[in-house]
Amino acid sequence: MNADIWLMIFGAALASLAPRIIPVAIFTRRKMPPWLEKWLSFVAPAVLGALTAVSILAPGGVINLGRDNLYIWAFLPTFAAGLITKSIFLTLLVGIASMAALFHFMG
Amino acid sequence: MIKHELQQGLRDSFPIVLGYLPLGFTFGVLARDSGLSLFQAVSMSALCFTGAGQFIAVGMFKAGGSLMAIVLTNLLVNLRYALFAASTVPYLKERIPSALAAALSYGLTDEVYAVSMNRYRTYPATASYLIALVASAHLGWIGSSLAGAILGNFITSTERLGMNFALPAMYISLMIILMRRRSDIYAALAASLTALLVGHFIPSTMANNFNIIAATLIGATLGVIINER
Repeated sequence: MNADIWLMIFGAALASLAPRIIPVAIFTRRKMPPWLEKWLSFVAPAVLGALTAVSILAPGGVINLGRDNLYIWAFLPTFAAGLITKSIFLTLLVGIASMAALFHFMG
Repeated sequence: MIKHELQQGLRDSFPIVLGYLPLGFTFGVLARDSGLSLFQAVSMSALCFTGAGQFIAVGMFKAGGSLMAIVLTNLLVNLRYALFAASTVPYLKERIPSALAAALSYGLTDEVYAVSMNRYRTYPATASYLIALVASAHLGWIGSSLAGAILGNFITSTERLGMNFALPAMYISLMIILMRRRSDIYAALAASLTALLVGHFIPSTMANNFNIIAATLIGATLGVIINER
């Protein structure tokens, strides 16, 4: 049992670190084709769009567009705070406070 | 100069750590519940540093999943980091020695990636900045896991404090900050839609994050096409 747990931990560590380390190890030594560099410049906006959409519209792993989805309500003030302040910290504060208030009054 | 970069990295890590607190805490609770010792729970956060991956691994372990299935699922969950890692290379190349850059990439989580990419768009990458950012975020992750593994029995709900919205709020903020070109907006919109549709029609991809990979591939490709027109 104990050995199983350590095997699980080391296996998961290998699977989570290799995908991050190997591409950097390869491409900082070799030249990257310009088309790939251009394509990769769109990875950040794409991935954050996807993560945002899923975390707000499917917070429990299933799409929920109903009024009872507090994440959608909390999204509105948080998005506004992000646009206005452009500050990660302030946006985070507004988001957490909005969610706490929503949970208190509606949850 | 080095000191300034270290401080800046530390400062930029603060929102990340704040976002990790409830998540790491929850992991600590869950890990103990799945049969891991305190030391094992903390070791896992130290060695893996992957939110979703760790949750899935201990969940599968508790359910009696095979080692092979756990490792393969983790590989799937973490595959998107290969894309992230590759996209940081143009900024790191010739600024940070290759071996060091590769080693520091171990800490490339969603949040570390987005914060550092935002930094690189205005300032050149430095090893000191990245070291401070990664180490601080990682310590926050380990510390909150430890807290959860110790205190798990006493605290029942972080929802009451709104902490469950810390990561979504972080994503929202980073998404807004990272949009520079008009084509970035189209890439993000296409990716949002793809992630939801793929996740809806193939529900298992919601759990293993494969929908995020599909969304990234389609969103980034659309971004390039629109950008070139």
